[in-house]
Amino acid sequence: MSNKFSRRDFLKLAGVGAATTAILTGCGPASRYVKREPYMLMPEYTYNGQSTYYATTCRECAAGCGLIVRTSQGRAIKTEGNANNPLNLGKTCARGQATLQGLYNPDRVTDPAKAGASITWDAATQAVVDALKNHKPDEIAFLMGTTSDHLFDLVTDLAAATGINAPVRFGALSMFESRATLSTAAENLFGQRGLPFFDVGGAQVVFSFGANFLETWLSPVSYTRGFAGLREAQTKMRGTFVQFESRMSATGGKADEWMPIRPGTEAMVVLAIGKLVAEKRGGTMPHAFIEVDPANVAAKSGIKLETLEQLAEKFASSAGALAIPGGAALGQSNGLTVAEAVLALNALVDNFGKPGGVYFSALAPNQTEYQRAASVQEMQGFIQKMAEGKFKVLFIHGVNPVFELPASLGFKEALSGVGQVISFATFPDETAQEADYVLPDHHSLESWGYQRVVTGSAQPVLSGSQPVVSPFYNTRATADVLIAAAQLAGGKFAQALPFTDEVEFLQSKVAPLMNSADGFFSAADINTFMAYFQQYGGWWKTLDGRAVPVAANLLNHSLSGAEAEFAGEGEFFFVPFVSPTLAEAGANKPWLQELPDPTTTVMWNTWVEINPETAHELGLEDDDVVKIISEAGELEVPVYRYPAIRPDTIAMPFGQGHTAYSRYADNRGVNPADLLGQYFNEAGDLAFAGMKVKIEKTGKKQPLSRMESIMGVYGVGLGEEH
Amino acid sequence: MIKRLFDWLKQPLGLIAVGITFLALFSLAAYGISLTQKPPEQPLQFPHRTHVAFGIQCLYCHPGASKGPAAGIPSQAKCWGCHNQIQKTQTSELLKPLKDAVLSGTPLEWVPVAQVPDFVQFNHRAHVAAGQNCENCHGDMTKVTIAENPQVMNMGWCLDCHKTIAGEDHEKLVKLVDCGTCHY
Repeated sequence: MSNKFSRRDFLKLAGVGAATTAILTGCGPASRYVKREPYMLMPEYTYNGQSTYYATTCRECAAGCGLIVRTSQGRAIKTEGNANNPLNLGKTCARGQATLQGLYNPDRVTDPAKAGASITWDAATQAVVDALKNHKPDEIAFLMGTTSDHLFDLVTDLAAATGINAPVRFGALSMFESRATLSTAAENLFGQRGLPFFDVGGAQVVFSFGANFLETWLSPVSYTRGFAGLREAQTKMRGTFVQFESRMSATGGKADEWMPIRPGTEAMVVLAIGKLVAEKRGGTMPHAFIEVDPANVAAKSGIKLETLEQLAEKFASSAGALAIPGGAALGQSNGLTVAEAVLALNALVDNFGKPGGVYFSALAPNQTEYQRAASVQEMQGFIQKMAEGKFKVLFIHGVNPVFELPASLGFKEALSGVGQVISFATFPDETAQEADYVLPDHHSLESWGYQRVVTGSAQPVLSGSQPVVSPFYNTRATADVLIAAAQLAGGKFAQALPFTDEVEFLQSKVAPLMNSADGFFSAADINTFMAYFQQYGGWWKTLDGRAVPVAANLLNHSLSGAEAEFAGEGEFFFVPFVSPTLAEAGANKPWLQELPDPTTTVMWNTWVEINPETAHELGLEDDDVVKIISEAGELEVPVYRYPAIRPDTIAMPFGQGHTAYSRYADNRGVNPADLLGQYFNEAGDLAFAGMKVKIEKTGKKQPLSRMESIMGVYGVGLGEEH
Repeated sequence: MIKRLFDWLKQPLGLIAVGITFLALFSLAAYGISLTQKPPEQPLQFPHRTHVAFGIQCLYCHPGASKGPAAGIPSQAKCWGCHNQIQKTQTSELLKPLKDAVLSGTPLEWVPVAQVPDFVQFNHRAHVAAGQNCENCHGDMTKVTIAENPQVMNMGWCLDCHKTIAGEDHEKLVKLVDCGTCHY
């Protein structure tokens, strides 16, 4: 036996120790301790351990994608796309996936309230009754969002029968999409109202002038599928995609060629390409393109003449060329001209009504004419009336105008001119905070309804909603509140809405489709029809419902190639863009906050994109806080040095900067809409990309959280402590 | 220091001390294991035999057995559907937990009796569809108050039955004893 602790002794002791530890910590199954709670009341169709799936419709934006929601034990646990729905064919975007986090958001409005104090639903309904009965019809106004089409129909019916103001719809997405510009351009050139549909999937060469169709534009899931079709190379040649924009969007990042044209020169670039294409195709030069001088355009836009010629060659020689207008290109003083020029470019290659070309979007099944949300100029008129005290009662549903509209329009201030503001907000957003009454609507996953698919599907589609879970809180469907209030108010109100509840109203609206021969299902009675409607998540026609635009006189239309005008004194073009992950109402969902922005990887914050060269000249580093000053206001925001932006342009994402809207959203980042002035294009859409701004250093630093290295894209600062 | 400790441990008294320590640790461990195997108390002494005696079918309370993996515990609404109309429910001391739970809207916390580990994908439906009766596995419920397992539900027991049923049918045997049938 040596003096030392021998190896053998050590192993013995270690062995005993290990065995004792293993035994004492217990190898037995802990599951014996499991306790199981039964349901108080078992939901119908529920079996323990088995999921139940419901078809419904996504309301995160107005596109109307179908969802299949998986529920277990009465809780919604996963959303996926509805494979039956012709619009999204089983796919969703990130926002659709994150719908659940709206449902489970801990800061939802749980009870009806008056001035912040909870009231009963009886008192709340009585408040609506009083509001309807005690005012003249033209003193009552409804401001609604772009989702919940069934509720819009209900209010439209109510307004038509009682003489109250027809509901006005607005949404920040339609503002940034410049929907009014698109439809006005179509109306001017084709003599028909409607939203153009661009068949990206069937095209061979796509030129997009600012359209961010892979992010939030019009119907992103459908357009993304189209893009996959463009790129598909098994059965045809892989399609080419060229993006023209001053700041590279996530869509532009997918392009084969990215053309950083000078803001304001979009119209002339389109016309110059048109002229060069017309020259290559021969024949008489169309009137629209006669005046433009490509050499001059090349000098002004920053694209070389030879590049323009190459692009024109590519466009002219392809069998399936398509040009798309959108985004910042339309949000300028000459946005309508840009849209018309792009449609003219399509007319030149004669792609109307052909695969890979331009169509009119199919009208939804229970729709007779194209409807669009109000342009910002129309909203300006609405706000004017509010401020003048013409509205005594304002009902607000599904929209957050205090946040979504530029502050310079003065919506918040104008609210004080309205006697009574009744909000139906699900979340405690900025507008609900200003309201006298908040009568919370259910979350979309707890709601009935339908949404018309405005664009993105060849077939006319009506996407149906049904509750997938029982409401968690003391909320009530707004349609039910209005129906109940109308019944209590009696007279013409009761006659306008002769229903017992929302479901009966829905049935009355879809009943005309019941025996339609061109639907993918039909039924002899309404109950069977509704059962199918719920099971499949809506109703759609089997045939292509898109109309073909008539381009008779289009090319003789005279188009001006003048540069857009910019407001303000600053040296930088200011491009606000919709955050592809948050959009206008995603900031209250942690999944979306945590999802890195596709181009910068920044999360949980707002940043300003500045070209590294410009930043170097100004002595700015990443995370330096700068003050951005426009005519309308100023903001402080950290710098992100972004190589894919023109040196004379800066850009900011829209989506953050809430002062309310739940714990995940408030006091986070800034809202670039605060910098926007009241400038419009010819169609009344906001010229949101039509301002010039100044930058001032503040000397402060605010680190942005982002997924890529904090050292930035160049590795500057590698090895330093952070 | 350590050498002296070992030297002391090797003398008879030391060996006895080691033995006592080991026995103490072992019994402690055994007690610990027995604790993990002891189910907690049931919230009330549910008399299966009484319910079966009234002619209530198994599937009335456990309808999941013919529909999916879990047989399920009946909702309290289902219990109350009958018990609400039974006079004794209002007065019986034994039924007080049920009455309290239903009236206060709190769930009773039942302790599962028949269970298999998480890595076994057991499905009732296939067994009921194959014509097995509940009592084949769960025993005769006319005899017990709280359900009891007549056997240990381990893999040997499963396979024994699967093999017997397959008999000479080789194709059936392969399907019934394949690992992936239960572990996937």
